[in-house]
Amino acid sequence: RLNMDTLHLVHVKLLASDLLTLTPRHTSPASFVRCGRTVARAEVVGVVVSRDRREKFLRFLVDDGTGCVPCVLWLNHQYLNANSSSDSDPTGEMASKMSEVVRLGTLLRVRGRIVMYHGTIQIAARDVVLEEDPNVEVLHWLQCVHMAKECYDLPLPSA
Amino acid sequence: MASSTLKPGVPITLQELEPSSEMLKQGASLRVTGILQSYDVDSAVAVIQDGSARLKIDTQNLRDISFRSNSTFQFIGELLIQPNNDAILQARVGRNVDGLDLNLYQQSLIIRRQHEAKLLSSRRP
Repeated sequence: RLNMDTLHLVHVKLLASDLLTLTPRHTSPASFVRCGRTVARAEVVGVVVSRDRREKFLRFLVDDGTGCVPCVLWLNHQYLNANSSSDSDPTGEMASKMSEVVRLGTLLRVRGRIVMYHGTIQIAARDVVLEEDPNVEVLHWLQCVHMAKECYDLPLPSA
Repeated sequence: MASSTLKPGVPITLQELEPSSEMLKQGASLRVTGILQSYDVDSAVAVIQDGSARLKIDTQNLRDISFRSNSTFQFIGELLIQPNNDAILQARVGRNVDGLDLNLYQQSLIIRRQHEAKLLSSRRP
């Protein structure tokens, strides 16, 4: 039978309070349950309130007013791609560029896989986008509310 | 990272910080928005206003912000209620939000709070 529940394939727009209370499932890779649906990726928008840069990663907290979402941006792609014959490292360069927009007080949109680290939900960032128009945060709130009502909260179609 | 225990700055309007408000609590983590009325370079204290409501902001921990009068600013920090009952927000972060539609922001805040309350009640065992 065709599985109509495809929420796990997309970045689900969530408020921090919603994201941080997802129910973890013991799967590999990690996945989470919200209202009976599997969720694996999320998109959040908020203000950077903490930043911790290390050699291999950048950890930061995004505050959207309902919670602070821990995010990690891996910077060690050159090690992960050690077998690559090419000297260039476009993924690493991209991550390094994205890390530069993560500054205290800036408004960011973060998309990535939801992971569990030391018992806490966090986002392993794939995209980090600096938002310069303050109204996009308000739009994101309304999209979260709208998507919950029209999609995420709806009962699963029976298989 | 010790900061993972940071509390979110709950967005409120300055009008909601009236003396009888339950938001007006010592140490409350808040996010406030208003138009900059004044900024004192020596004390690093800014005053923001929204309608008739005003709030003092201690900005001594902030860097790289240019405080322009009549620009709109948003701050996240903790509320300090002084012995004379005067409230001041000790800002951790701040930014210029010129262009923000304050009316839309406040209306959306109401919708978002209703959504949060619903979520909270559905997650309660």
